[in-house]
Amino acid sequence: MQLIAKLGILADAAKYDASCASSGAPKRSSRGRDGLGATDGMGICHSYTPDGRCVSLLKVLLTNFCLYDCQYCVNRRSSNVPRARFTPEEVVRLTLDFYRRNCISGLFLSSGIIRSADYTMEQLVEVARLLREEYNFRGYIHLKTIPDADPLLIEQAGRLADRLSVNIELPTEASLQRLAPEKQVRTIRQAMGTIHRGQQAVANEPRAPRFTPAGQSTQMIVGADATDDRTILGNAESLYQGFGLKRVYYSAFSPIPDSPNSVPLAAPPLLREHRLYQADFLMRGYGYKADELLTESSNLALDIDPKLAWALANRDVFPLDLNRAEPTLLARIPGIGLRSVQRLVALRRERRIRYDDLVQLRCVLDKARPFIVTSDYRPPQTDVRSGLLRARLRDSQAPVQMGLWG
Amino acid sequence: MIALDCADEFGTWRGQARVLLGHGIDPAQVTWVQGPMDDLLAVPASLPEGPGPFQARIPAVLLSQLEQAARYCGEQRWSLLYEVLWRVAHGDRTAMLAGDRLGSELQRRIKQVGREAHHLHAFLRFVPLPEVLAKRLQLDLVAYHEPAHDILESASGHFAERLGRQRWLIATPRDGIRFDGKVLDYRRECPEQWREWARHGEDPGAELWRTYYRHIFNPARVNPDVMRQHMPGRFWRHLPEGDLIPRLVGQARQGKQRDGQALEVAEKGGKRISVGVDASRS
Repeated sequence: MQLIAKLGILADAAKYDASCASSGAPKRSSRGRDGLGATDGMGICHSYTPDGRCVSLLKVLLTNFCLYDCQYCVNRRSSNVPRARFTPEEVVRLTLDFYRRNCISGLFLSSGIIRSADYTMEQLVEVARLLREEYNFRGYIHLKTIPDADPLLIEQAGRLADRLSVNIELPTEASLQRLAPEKQVRTIRQAMGTIHRGQQAVANEPRAPRFTPAGQSTQMIVGADATDDRTILGNAESLYQGFGLKRVYYSAFSPIPDSPNSVPLAAPPLLREHRLYQADFLMRGYGYKADELLTESSNLALDIDPKLAWALANRDVFPLDLNRAEPTLLARIPGIGLRSVQRLVALRRERRIRYDDLVQLRCVLDKARPFIVTSDYRPPQTDVRSGLLRARLRDSQAPVQMGLWG
Repeated sequence: MIALDCADEFGTWRGQARVLLGHGIDPAQVTWVQGPMDDLLAVPASLPEGPGPFQARIPAVLLSQLEQAARYCGEQRWSLLYEVLWRVAHGDRTAMLAGDRLGSELQRRIKQVGREAHHLHAFLRFVPLPEVLAKRLQLDLVAYHEPAHDILESASGHFAERLGRQRWLIATPRDGIRFDGKVLDYRRECPEQWREWARHGEDPGAELWRTYYRHIFNPARVNPDVMRQHMPGRFWRHLPEGDLIPRLVGQARQGKQRDGQALEVAEKGGKRISVGVDASRS
């Protein structure tokens, strides 16, 4: 089979993995040296596909032959899809060609399970080794980790790659047993533990060889089973705490061709996925706890964002005086982001904050207005009930799945 | 009214601004133009001589912010900077802050300039020259890009970091830059020949990337508005994948969004794998 035909099949097989991040790698440069590639911590999205997703890496499978039969996966062994397999050299060639053209910032390589978990992992490691050692490639490398592979192979991968990820796949053990019978939560968590320990071993040793400097991530499929958002976010929180994960990706289950009856054949729940990402960002960036975000219902509201939902459920905290409140509290005001908080704090060292300053900072005032006090403004409707506020502030789009299926 | 031309160079503007400030000349009394002044009522006066009596103390961070904002191409490109400088020099530091009306514009320009540098790093595409031509021109890669702001010189070092000893060239409608593997050669006026090389037509190798782009797209998630928000249409025509976009959106809208698979893959024959067979040798 020609390289271009393989590329079509193996890119098509890889699109269900959400991550395409190329950020967080240490500073590396090829200036004046043999080889290719640089990283500086900043990710670059070199293109966007018409689904609005960033293309930062060459994201392919080494092969979509697979011995497993995960029901949600287009590459499961019982799926009727065309199959192909790259040689490690072919992946290297594509990576370097796309990189030279400035189409990508690196490689995200995954694979179906062939022969054994160890054999598959060895093949992935070989691609990274070729790139790093034979071709002096200093761009970004993300390897998918096969959970049942030998920890020694995972450690080898961690020294070559910027990021490793082990997919948790489904939010509960029961769902995993039902939909991915060959996978086990225990070995998935063990692999995460191997990576985490590898990171900790070099954490305070600046001279030690790097180990997954851009951290570890995972992916959870949303909507393939009936799990609620409370379980999903609780699970994410425990992964952040337990394994020091950099990111949990949520992937709205996308219907697959030749779909088995065990998974839904419905449009991907994109709005739900979006709310989960918002909630996740609030946990990582703003210090919210998962159970704070889900007090009234076990699923996130679709019609308002989780930050606004929290503010509406905690009206006693508001209104906050922008000239006095602690920065961490300011960050909890709907419509005011972390950057605006920094800018407000800088500005209030010089003078009192006025309402018009928020206009200049381009804060979302419709959302912020009921929750703030400035030197010249106080919300008239502090006694307006949250239900009314919510009705006024909900997103204009209807809280139902967008009409892809008309 | 004093009318000045700084040839869109920050160093020149800075020298002029220093003299103006030293002589206490109010921002309302000065304007920067290119070529002859078009304000018929203004009587051109010239820049005063000598540094002037007023010694302003300027925070270093302001200077670097002014330099960044100076790369912004647009109305009042230079006079806005002088107004900010004037206010800060006279003790009003809020003129630099985003909460202030003037500072907000300054910060917006800095942000736009930063975004445009990021656009260069993201959406520029190099085309590898065929071997014979590469040897003759001493160039491995060429690119043509149309930045909205004056960022080519300050933002191109990035490619020297990425491409090692590769020799490359970037041409724009205005300026150009060339790297010979060791040294950057920046030209404010892009040589016409560079532009011709950069638009070198043939690129059969682009088909691999176009194939990748078609297949990594998930039609079940089609959302062209978000794409356009991140990747403005003005960049599409220089992207090898640019002309695929309308077609992919069209196909997805006509029913291909029922699952994630690309049409070309769906049309191929599939292969189920029976357990016990060594799949890797299939």
